[in-house]
Amino acid sequence: MSLLAVENLVVRYGQLTALRGVSLHVEEGETLFVTGPNGAGKSTLLKAIAGVVRPAEGRIRLAGADITGNAPETTARLGFSMVPEGRQVFPELTIEENLWLGVGIRRNRAAAAADLDHIYAVFPMLRERRHAAAGILSGGQQQMLVIARALMTAPRLVAIDEPSLGLAPKIIDQVYELLMRLRAERQLTLLIVEQSSTRALMTGGRLVLLRSGQIVLEGACDALDGATLERAYFGYDGPAEVTAS
Amino acid sequence: MTATLQILFDALSLGSLYALGALGIALIFGVMRLVNFAHGDYIAFSVFVLLWPTTEAVSILLLGQLPPILLIPVVIAIGALLSMASEVTVFRRLREANPATMMIASFALGFVIKHALLMAYSSRPKSISILPGLAQQVEVMGARIPLLQVVTILATIVILLALTAFLKRTRFGLEMRAAAQDFTMARMLGVKANRVILLAFAISGALAGAIGLVVVVQTGTADINMGLSVMLVAFIATVIGGLGSLYGAVVAGFLIGGASVLMQVILPLEARPFRDAFVYALVIAVLIWRPQGLFAPRSSRQRV
Amino acid sequence: MTRAPSVLARTFTTPLLLIALLAAIAVLFFLFGSGAQQRFVVEMLIRVVLVVGIWIFVGNSGIISFGHVGFMCLAAYATAWLTIPPMLKQISLRGLPDFLLTNQFPFWPSAFAAALLPAIFALIIGPILMRLAGIAASIATFAMLAVINTVYSNWSSVTGGTSSIVGIPTHTTLWVALGFSAVAIVIAWLYAISRSGLALRAARDEPIAAQASGVNIERERLIAFVLSAFVCGAAGVLYAHFLGIITPDAFFLTATFVALSMLVVGGMYSLSGAVIGVVVISTIIQILRWLERGVPLGDVTVALPNGSQQIAIGAVMIMILLFRPAGLMGNRELRLSFRRGPQPAPDREVRGKPE
Repeated sequence: MSLLAVENLVVRYGQLTALRGVSLHVEEGETLFVTGPNGAGKSTLLKAIAGVVRPAEGRIRLAGADITGNAPETTARLGFSMVPEGRQVFPELTIEENLWLGVGIRRNRAAAAADLDHIYAVFPMLRERRHAAAGILSGGQQQMLVIARALMTAPRLVAIDEPSLGLAPKIIDQVYELLMRLRAERQLTLLIVEQSSTRALMTGGRLVLLRSGQIVLEGACDALDGATLERAYFGYDGPAEVTAS
Repeated sequence: MTATLQILFDALSLGSLYALGALGIALIFGVMRLVNFAHGDYIAFSVFVLLWPTTEAVSILLLGQLPPILLIPVVIAIGALLSMASEVTVFRRLREANPATMMIASFALGFVIKHALLMAYSSRPKSISILPGLAQQVEVMGARIPLLQVVTILATIVILLALTAFLKRTRFGLEMRAAAQDFTMARMLGVKANRVILLAFAISGALAGAIGLVVVVQTGTADINMGLSVMLVAFIATVIGGLGSLYGAVVAGFLIGGASVLMQVILPLEARPFRDAFVYALVIAVLIWRPQGLFAPRSSRQRV
Repeated sequence: MTRAPSVLARTFTTPLLLIALLAAIAVLFFLFGSGAQQRFVVEMLIRVVLVVGIWIFVGNSGIISFGHVGFMCLAAYATAWLTIPPMLKQISLRGLPDFLLTNQFPFWPSAFAAALLPAIFALIIGPILMRLAGIAASIATFAMLAVINTVYSNWSSVTGGTSSIVGIPTHTTLWVALGFSAVAIVIAWLYAISRSGLALRAARDEPIAAQASGVNIERERLIAFVLSAFVCGAAGVLYAHFLGIITPDAFFLTATFVALSMLVVGGMYSLSGAVIGVVVISTIIQILRWLERGVPLGDVTVALPNGSQQIAIGAVMIMILLFRPAGLMGNRELRLSFRRGPQPAPDREVRGKPE
């Protein structure tokens, strides 16, 4: 059984159809990249899973449980932790309060405290400034804070929407470095949305390419070559024909 | 000196009322972007339950007979319950609606509460005397100050401290502050929307009950419109303070209270009837100067 | 941009339908209604003028205004000053300037001048208020209303203070009220399809995009504000000449909320919503009043308990909003269906128009 299984998901915003029957799955322990050009429906996909957007058709299952159309807090409590686009820290709360917010859904506070220590060990910068308002952090630091905050919920699956958005290349490297370290140390299952596939090919895992609300390419990162990806990304050969998995 | 002290106490006690009202409005606005126009009617409701429902001119105490130690918590609880009931029956179903729709619904709800009270008690203001001990005066540094003013100010300070502690030190408080800044994100971290909003309504309603108690002791009458002026000023204070900022709402409440009392003193005699016009003109000036309010939280600025 | 005639015809369907609807109600009550019922229709038509006036600003700009009833107040008092017989004015309004105190002006020029007063006032205060957006703008309009109310309640020598002004000649007949509402609807519609109206709605829905394409939001808002002040002023004129008696409190919170409720219940982003909201809520109010007075059922008269009427109105409004949060019209305009050929369908159909 897949940890996350999305079947034939359709999402509409009024007249506009953002997702037209997307099916994908994420296995325990793996990293799945969802890439695609602007407006492909990547963020919509994550929002629909998180319960922020209500799908018109289709099913979403998390560890076998049907979470289609659940409230965001219910889905979060089942182990899906979302890091939305644009680094949504709570600017008026302190860094520690931001982190502590995710702990509300956990029973075992001792384990949560241990997690906090671990996170502080990985991000010493957050420990140093833990009583400062989160709003003062730089973009890269905020990105790290929201990832750390997502981990504090002890999630089964972490979904991250465009972690590199608006960050300098050097900072993006740092963010990914830390993310990969956390993945290794905590056996994380990741669902990462990125506009470009380059990062996915560097990081490894599986990749799904979304265009105009449909999956046009799917495969293991190391099995895909740049040319195939590029064709699918820009759609030179017409939609939905290049399926190389 | 004594005159100054009297003015100071006047300003602080009026400001206290406005601050508590503004806090009640700001709490709910923070978590669900609702401007709750029923708030003034919560205030009236929690006072009228002190009386037997009758349309006669006489007023017979109902809950008002309770000893103060019970009376105060009971009135506050009634405010809280009414407020929670309105969330469950009306506002919960309108969460996705636009702010104008919610606002008009809150007005309609207030209309229903008000006219239910009118049906039960008639529109005649009723004299009511509870906690008579508060009517006496005390001497503070040579000035004779009504005890009620002192108690009002002290109670407000206690309430503000307690609420600050609640917001800063408890899990619920943390969730509420987070929800006020970014509700969706808070929910994605597992914060239960219904619980946080219900709690905000409960506190807001409790504050309405407290205001009702102060006003009724101050005026000695229960009047159907007694909550209206406090609510309107509170509403303005919330905006001037910076929507979404509880701290700003409280400060702005005190500022408006202070400005009203000060205007009463410094305006020439013939201009005094127009005091409110000056206060409201000042409000417009402040808004032009700081459209986001005096203490706009970073989150609200980002959103615009 | 050139328009084909059919487009033009379609463009004016909505105001024509709305006016026809109001005219039908007026004629019906003129022929079959009692005097009291005709007064109900006049009251309704006055509210149509007011709510349509508010819609010009609120509907197009998206800013909720609490201040427009204040414009009604300005105009009502202005027309009172102009038209009350000098004898009465010299008793109760002694602070008026001489030319007002000693003259009595005819209805039509007075009406126009009186409605112009709030428009001028809006033109003066507008440039300040229109810099604000969203809820800050709403609060500022409320503050404006409060200032107007305080001044008119206390400036006793020219307004009579909180006591009422009497002796305003009554000119507001059913037909005058109908004419005013027809004109109000036409003005509102012409504004809505004008360049300024389109720009303002664009700015309402996509403020950043509209600004980037050169829309001067403050200017367009001001135009709508002044125009809506004029129309609301006209409602004030009608009101004063209908009752013959005015007090400042008639133009304060209750009136504001009743008008806004009608707008929102009807659907605040469409002109049809404004008109339908008034018609529906007024009708419900009237039916409930009638029920409260008692309905003979055989030998017994069944009546709602006294005071339950208002409770029921509030409850009905809440129900409508719960089931139709975007209002009865759901932001759509009333129009005939053209889909099945050029001939108008025999029954009126409500069809969606993407805004």
